Amino acid sequence: MAEADNGKPSCRPELGDEFNEKETDQDRTAEIAANAPRYRRKSSTFIDGIHDVSENQGDLAPAQLYSTMSGRLFHSGRIAIVMVGLPARGKTHICVSMARYLAWLGVKTRIFHLGDYRRATVGKGGQVPEDYFFPNASPSSVILRQKILKKCREDIYAWLNHENGQVAIYDAVNPTASSRRALAKEFAKHDVQTLFLESYVDDESILRENARNVKINSPDSQFVGMDPDEAAKLYLKRIDMKIPVFETMNENELNYVKMINAGQAFFYNNVSFNYLSHRIVFYLTNLHIKSRTTFFARAGPADEDSYKADGPLSEEGRVYAKRIAETLIKHREQERQALINKSGEDVPLRPLTVWTSTRLRTIQTAEPLKEMGYQVRQRSQMSQINPGVCEKMSERMIRTLYPDEVEKHELDPYHHRYPRAESYHDLAVRLEPIILELEREQNDLLIIAHESVLRVLYAYLMHCSTMDIPKLKFPRDQIIEIIPAAYQNEAKLIHVTGLDPKCVPGSPEDIRIPVPSGPPSGNLTPIPGMSSPAEMEEPPTRPPEIVVNTAKEMVADKVADED
Amino acid sequence: MPRRTNGVGVQAEDAQICVVMVGLPARGKSYIAQKAQRYLRWLSIPARTFNVGNYRRNDAPQPTADFFDMNNAEGERKRRAAAEAAVADMLQWFKSGGVVGILDATNSTKERRQWVFETVSKEGIEVIFVESKCDNEDLIMGNIRDVKTTSPDYKGQDPDAAALDFRNRIRNYEKIYKSINEDGDEGDYTYLKIMDVGKQVIINRIQDYLQSRIVYYLINLHIRPRSVWLSRHGESMLNLEGRIGGDAALSYRGEEYARKLPDLVRQSVGDDRPLTVWTSTLKRTIATARHLPKHYNQLQWKALDELDAGVCDGLTYQEIKDQYPDDFAARDDDKYNYRYRGGESYRDVVIRLEPIIMELERSEDILIISHQAVIRCIYAYFMQKDQEDSPWLPVPLHTLIKLTPRAYGTDEEKTSANIKAVSTWRGKGSTAKHEDPVPEGGI
Repeated sequence: MAEADNGKPSCRPELGDEFNEKETDQDRTAEIAANAPRYRRKSSTFIDGIHDVSENQGDLAPAQLYSTMSGRLFHSGRIAIVMVGLPARGKTHICVSMARYLAWLGVKTRIFHLGDYRRATVGKGGQVPEDYFFPNASPSSVILRQKILKKCREDIYAWLNHENGQVAIYDAVNPTASSRRALAKEFAKHDVQTLFLESYVDDESILRENARNVKINSPDSQFVGMDPDEAAKLYLKRIDMKIPVFETMNENELNYVKMINAGQAFFYNNVSFNYLSHRIVFYLTNLHIKSRTTFFARAGPADEDSYKADGPLSEEGRVYAKRIAETLIKHREQERQALINKSGEDVPLRPLTVWTSTRLRTIQTAEPLKEMGYQVRQRSQMSQINPGVCEKMSERMIRTLYPDEVEKHELDPYHHRYPRAESYHDLAVRLEPIILELEREQNDLLIIAHESVLRVLYAYLMHCSTMDIPKLKFPRDQIIEIIPAAYQNEAKLIHVTGLDPKCVPGSPEDIRIPVPSGPPSGNLTPIPGMSSPAEMEEPPTRPPEIVVNTAKEMVADKVADED
Repeated sequence: MPRRTNGVGVQAEDAQICVVMVGLPARGKSYIAQKAQRYLRWLSIPARTFNVGNYRRNDAPQPTADFFDMNNAEGERKRRAAAEAAVADMLQWFKSGGVVGILDATNSTKERRQWVFETVSKEGIEVIFVESKCDNEDLIMGNIRDVKTTSPDYKGQDPDAAALDFRNRIRNYEKIYKSINEDGDEGDYTYLKIMDVGKQVIINRIQDYLQSRIVYYLINLHIRPRSVWLSRHGESMLNLEGRIGGDAALSYRGEEYARKLPDLVRQSVGDDRPLTVWTSTLKRTIATARHLPKHYNQLQWKALDELDAGVCDGLTYQEIKDQYPDDFAARDDDKYNYRYRGGESYRDVVIRLEPIIMELERSEDILIISHQAVIRCIYAYFMQKDQEDSPWLPVPLHTLIKLTPRAYGTDEEKTSANIKAVSTWRGKGSTAKHEDPVPEGGI
């Protein structure tokens, strides 16, 4: 197994056994393994699982409305979404976000970054020849290019034909009209529909901003000590030199969406769009490529803690609300200082918006922040899961009164609903507008909500399995910070001190039915320096390991990576 | 700025949106406007269309094409007054809690658009322009024929003369028409431009989620004429016993309906063009569709399955009343929102049907064979039925319903197969196994 592309220790297991079983051609499997460096199993609920290979894709579809025998949804058949655009246009971010959303809907989706294949082929520290992207490249460069392309395509077909995949997202530059036409023809031969998605940017300020973000995180000596604008310019110039020919999409006979200036405008050419294509456009109209952080905090406790009563915060709850506000503000200021120290320029604090549900406890938890002048918005969809008739019943009582329901619940805790209650699946479907608004929000965002809502939103951002969602824990002495990056999201914990220990643990108004014990589907291994939203009940099964492919490494990689 | 508030006095929803239609006459603007209104209401979002033509008709009921000549000062004054009255009423409606107001007019000049934009956004309401641009003469003439027979402007007039007059009216508009951002100086507006019936689309500066949602719906629409046929499955064995839900086979009479359905459909379609058939995944709809011609493409949708009655699945209404008296009463009290224990409510069904509605909007002729509650929801969408009424609509067995969306509403035609079947309709409070629907209303 080649994890050699970056030489970092890896927490992913050897490429999955099931993967080997499915493939009959051993040689080809080895080759795919060698060239698909980022295939890995979900290793922990607090590592973004968007690039993981899962044993059961069905568990990764929190808001799937129905299922089909073929495993494909919306009568859309198999689709290749082919990215088009020069580097620094936010393509990878678009791919990853789109995959996250499609998987959320239950569409089996996998991303194929051509850059991963190229790096794996040329090896660590290797470089592609200077003329690699040139139209008149030397024969050896052309052969190398074709070899890399072939491997990536083989993986795509394996995914669509043998692994029940529905959407393959092909992340590459695809700079010329002729290559795109050839690609569409080739996919059509395999009975795969092609949808091109171009990220086109002619707004200089967006380009420079993207380039600067890359530069800030880059260890590349060439940029050190350079004026940020100069560095950005140099970076963009390098791209132009490396990829001299780029034709924006104008092919009338192809299905394409052109996303202009990071979503300011869209143009699309529709030959045979279906529901899924429109759904993707819908999602993209809500996406932006600015980087911002999401914080999750629980609502404070109430004295009368029941769903129906919707009571106000208790005394400890008011203390909690204050502590949350103070901790968060202090943390944001520290982060800003760290950034200033690193980049050497003054960085303004991004504005912060607070969302609560329309339940009283969440509104009151946000009050200290509101008094400080932060904008607080209430979203009715973010009300907690409806516990139904079992609210506040003891487990024994539920088992006595509803033995059949308990049995069903244990089989499928994510989809089962107790009498009058909502399931987590119901909640996920109800939260869909929130998901899209979450993508749309440009300010930093603090979400104050009930634990059940945090579970589902966290699962969307970190791509958790539906088997894990009902078990995620959000104790009140932690604020969770989700930091987005082009390649994957990172979760971080901020400790809240000075709380009444009584108010820290899980929500008392939850249904008191234990989800089935037995081994969790993902190993809950803590990362050093980050503790977990999943409660550490069982001892870690493996020693702590470091996450591969952190966002920063990816970005650093990008500087030399014109793809 | 007035906003809806929740109990605590803080805004819960913020966006109020004015959708401003743009485009020459006979480009399907009214069609798009009323579709959008119907869709939003179906999703429980308060929406209303303000048709400037209706305001103008108060002043000039049946004007000739000259009225629309830009050099006709009297006509110009009256049209301007009509636009002002429509916008004033719309703003009033926003103050009383409206969320999406649709201004249905040509808005074909930059000056008019600027006026609307300034007047409306001054009140804190977002503006999105929606333009339908189409140069396909066949489609335009098709639309004119449609409009000429249904528009109140030409009521009781000779059809040919009306068509000619309408073509002249369009010419008058063409003289001054400016497509949105054609000169490149309207790029700051939020707009959606649909060209050639959705072949190409431009989406510019979407500002919030609700706007994106409206755009998403509109790009799924098309204005090519087509119909949707709805039928319940043939009578099932459980229908005979007055039991709800289940996955039973067809009764003898249900089988008879299935055999007769191909003829019934062919007659209703009028020619040999094939339909696409959608069924649920339950036996009774699949069996009902199985004699349809082989060249009809058939698809099964899980989302078309009957409303899930949870613990009450397979019971009679009397049994439900005996075993779950509170539930029986609660359901009659608010049938749209009532969710069966472990099952679904009508609202749940609407949510799961949304992808179906989207797919339906972008498709051509479709025949849907489904179940009572599901057909009620789809019917309510096309016929704009209120949530209080839709769960009570009678949808008789062994009857084919044809719905044809038109600019000013949906045409409905129903054909009975003349094969006897039990009634599965139930009045409020009743536990009868088979009850005749009350005569008024209904499909």
